[in-house]
Amino acid sequence: MGRKHGFDYDLIVIGSGTAGATSAAIAAKAGKSVAIVESGAFGGAAHHRNDVPTAALLYSAGLYDQSIQSGNIGLRTNSISYNYPALRAWQKTAIRRSGAANRSYYEGLGIDIISGLAHFLTPNEISVGYRHFSAKYFVVATGSNWRLPNVHGLSANGYQTPDTVIDGIRKSKHYLIIGGGETGVETAQILTSFGAKVTIAEAKSRLLPGYDPEAGQAIEKALSDKDVKVLADSRVLAIEGQDGSKRVLLARGGSKKHLMVDSIVVAAGCLPETDLGLDNAGVNYTKNGVKVNDYMQTNIRHIFAVGDVTGQHGLTHLGITEGRMAAHNIFNTNKIKVDHKSAPRIVLGYPNVAAAGLNESECRAKGLKIKKVVVGLSGAVRSSTANFSDGFVKLIADGNGRLVGATIVAPNAAEMIHELSLAITHQMSVTDLASSPRAFLSWSEAIGIAAQELTN
Amino acid sequence: MSHKTYVKKSGKRESEPFDRKKLHDSIVSTCLSTRSPMGVAQATASSVCEAVIIWLEPRTEVTTLDLRKKAAEQLAKQHPEAAYLYEQHKITI
Repeated sequence: MGRKHGFDYDLIVIGSGTAGATSAAIAAKAGKSVAIVESGAFGGAAHHRNDVPTAALLYSAGLYDQSIQSGNIGLRTNSISYNYPALRAWQKTAIRRSGAANRSYYEGLGIDIISGLAHFLTPNEISVGYRHFSAKYFVVATGSNWRLPNVHGLSANGYQTPDTVIDGIRKSKHYLIIGGGETGVETAQILTSFGAKVTIAEAKSRLLPGYDPEAGQAIEKALSDKDVKVLADSRVLAIEGQDGSKRVLLARGGSKKHLMVDSIVVAAGCLPETDLGLDNAGVNYTKNGVKVNDYMQTNIRHIFAVGDVTGQHGLTHLGITEGRMAAHNIFNTNKIKVDHKSAPRIVLGYPNVAAAGLNESECRAKGLKIKKVVVGLSGAVRSSTANFSDGFVKLIADGNGRLVGATIVAPNAAEMIHELSLAITHQMSVTDLASSPRAFLSWSEAIGIAAQELTN
Repeated sequence: MSHKTYVKKSGKRESEPFDRKKLHDSIVSTCLSTRSPMGVAQATASSVCEAVIIWLEPRTEVTTLDLRKKAAEQLAKQHPEAAYLYEQHKITI
């Protein structure tokens, strides 16, 4: 443990998730004395609870769905099946392979890993168990927890969250998912692929309310084709137990409705984890997150916050970027800002949904004069060879012809979106985008077609 | 609680173990200040203390500010008027 300037460490990072671990690794590589404090499993929620386990199951679900529907492309798939213990084992393998338990990597960089719950006692001192640690700088990266909606009887009657849902899955069980955002949609895809009956209750007027309407409509159609029932404009009011099932009272379009389900899944967003004595450090925060400036710095100059705890986006990849920026800004005089607006957002599943930049309603709210185009995937020859044509590419350009927003629904949309994210970051025009050749028989041909249409 | 949680005092005062009775008494007197009947005040204080003790369970050291904030948060769920008074106590006297 290095002692410098009277502190135990140069930097203490609270939380070992992707955002915090990135800050810690960068600082340690720059020769600073660093500690990470973690109260749970090393690696954080993205590796253990959210992104990685969900993506692993979505991969299985996608392959299974495509296989059973592949009779018309010359395959015989009568014998394909699944079993839940094997799916759970695959999920655990994926988590292990993702490097979540790679604690030794950080220890190899000279970082001290401290297990326990961190609690600020003063602006430069935390307690972890019965020990006290001080640091010149802190990065708060405690992430978030599932937000429980205000539903009467929810806690008393039991509920699941997307990360625990696979543990209790069984065929024909009827699940009600509260929330039709990214996580709700992904969870629905997993459950329905593996034999469960699913209903989604979304308070807003459509699925994926943070995306352009076309994306929500396309996903609603894809889910409806798999017998998922979507109840838009629906608010869950109360839940009561009845003969081993759950009787749910919903308010929908001015009327009330009852629904019998076996299990409730809460996927109504996350709340930042701010219960770490921030008042003792004088840090400004609300229940929606720790307040930071463009440099990820809180109102207390030596305390930074990154990732979900800031409540700004909930995207793991932006958390990593913020972690990198925070470490840079702590130890360098040339401060850098995080560009949140062009970061890609994705919903995995079959098909993927991906978006970058502004959506149409955000453009309107900013008063931007826009030009848009929506091109179906059938324009790309790949749709014929891959037997899929239900998606689209949507591009939005501003009055100067610069790309400001994009949405894609396609089997590989999560990979395709990065080209458009880069174009938005570097303020490229749709003419630039259209002039770049794309490989014949790639899904990206649809982007070229959309850009070409927008330039006309 | 299976372990002892210490309460760190401001200034140079010594830390001391968490004392349920002190917290209970302070909540009771706040509730009484808002003209709650004694029985209600005691029931409210017991419920707040239980919630605070659950919160303290994984923590070994907290500050008086933490305790005050957490108790006020719990009190607000049952007795908003008393919670306001409890939070503003140091400002109003």
